[in-house]
Amino acid sequence: MSETILTAHNMTRRYGGFTAVNDVSIEVTRGEIRGLIGPNGAGKSTLMDLICGRGSGYSAGSVTLMGHRLDGLPARQRRRLGLGRSFQKTNIFPDLTVAEQIRLAARAMKTGDAEEIMSELNLADLAEARAGDISYGAQRRLDLALALIGRPPVVLLDEPAAGLSIGESLALSRLLEDLTRRWNVTVLIVEHDMEVIFSICDRITVLQAGRILADGDADAIRSNEEVVRAYLGSAVS
Amino acid sequence: MASSPSLASPESGGPSRLAGGIGGMLAVAAVLVVAGFSLPVVISSMLVLTLLTQATLQALLAISVGFLFRQNGLTSFGQAGWFGLAAYTVAVNGRFGWVAPETAVVAALVVPTVLAALLGTVIVRLPHLAFSMLTLAVAQAVHEVFLKWRTLANGDDGIEVRLPKRLFGLDIALFQQPQTMVVIVWIALVLVVVALLFFARSHTGLLTRAIRDNEERARYIGYETLLPRVVVYAVSALVAAIAGVLFSLYNGFVTPGLLHWSLSGEALIMAFIGGPRVIWGPVLGAGLFFLLKDFAGDHTEHWPAIIGGILMIVTILLPEGLAGLAQRVGRRLWSRRAA
Repeated sequence: MSETILTAHNMTRRYGGFTAVNDVSIEVTRGEIRGLIGPNGAGKSTLMDLICGRGSGYSAGSVTLMGHRLDGLPARQRRRLGLGRSFQKTNIFPDLTVAEQIRLAARAMKTGDAEEIMSELNLADLAEARAGDISYGAQRRLDLALALIGRPPVVLLDEPAAGLSIGESLALSRLLEDLTRRWNVTVLIVEHDMEVIFSICDRITVLQAGRILADGDADAIRSNEEVVRAYLGSAVS
Repeated sequence: MASSPSLASPESGGPSRLAGGIGGMLAVAAVLVVAGFSLPVVISSMLVLTLLTQATLQALLAISVGFLFRQNGLTSFGQAGWFGLAAYTVAVNGRFGWVAPETAVVAALVVPTVLAALLGTVIVRLPHLAFSMLTLAVAQAVHEVFLKWRTLANGDDGIEVRLPKRLFGLDIALFQQPQTMVVIVWIALVLVVVALLFFARSHTGLLTRAIRDNEERARYIGYETLLPRVVVYAVSALVAAIAGVLFSLYNGFVTPGLLHWSLSGEALIMAFIGGPRVIWGPVLGAGLFFLLKDFAGDHTEHWPAIIGGILMIVTILLPEGLAGLAQRVGRRLWSRRAA
């Protein structure tokens, strides 16, 4: 039986009268790549923020990672307990070199795999380059590297392929799948690129208007009429 | 500053560049220290030596402003508060004789540093403008204390700094004659720059630059982000305090003007003209400021307007300051020579 590694129960966030996430509960099993999809404003990124303790507004719910309650803990403690995070907008340190920031992150995680992760994410040749000067695709890989350094048991990825070309996003998704499977990293990924989602996710949760609309494997989601009507349209028919 | 220079640091680099840089940096520092000893030999004019001593003291204050901006991305409008507090600590102790003068000098360095650390835990987490305003408010509050508390500091009449004949085993005259004090402040400047360069290249230096650029990301890679910024603020106060102590020993008289916002403003202008992205940049700003003040001041009482004009030109045309320009020219010459 699969072991549950991350549990988020009754997650709710309200901004004034608007409820962005409404009593959502999800459980993610160890080693799984879980997709989180839905139309804009469905609450995907907000749910990610709730899990990693980011953002303001009224929040409720409980998050458990490998038996540790995370609610109320600051971001750095969540990271040290094993919750990595990448962001929708590229979130790097533009003034530092690639190597400087990877080593900084490695030191925080007390891990010596800085060189390995640069090599795995094809950043070794850019090690001495200022991060603000490298290509957008390389910046996305760097963002991913910062989330994956120390091989956290669970990583939350918010649109890692956003802004990339079709070829780049497919290459990134293959790289992501390869790394996380080899390193046994559990992934919760928000992504609008359905090619990426359907090619790498073991299970997909669909959100709409702050609630779960559907949940299942790729085939079940593709054939779910409600999901097709609300979000997928003819894109995957 | 309406238009702040970019925070991108030209001093960042990989480990090989850093390793190579440390040897070169220490060699340059050694040459500069030796050059410091030659200053009173090369310069015979007492006026020039006096101006150079004052300019070097101001450069130290400007460096403290630039360092804070470089590492934390914050602009202090009240750095003179730490400068004046240190100077007054030595002077007030000389007046009342509470502790030995050597102890007072150490206290003059420790007290502003500790107070800045305590204050920093509250204000460095604030947005940039709020931080700047609070530094101004705190420095002006300290100014008011020394201005109004006559029994302690003799109000705006100021107080004489009474010192023993020997301080730390050195003849006090060494600190009060331009031809010797210029060497002392020059060496202090070189040592402070070297220490700050080491700090900037340390883990904490790297981390504070990371926090400055993206605090949220720093938290999400596992770092506590307040304490490193507090350390930077305390170090910047320590540098200002070093300048303040040296000033009190040299000048032998302190007034509330040492704590006034206008002195903080001058240091800020020097830092931005020189280029706060580079640790030694404010030294160039201080040099230019004193040159203009001396030469233009002989011809017009409106010399501050010339400084203002230069600040506008530098802010618009040279956002990296004079140091950034010097580095760019140096790199171009180097690459031409290599080609």
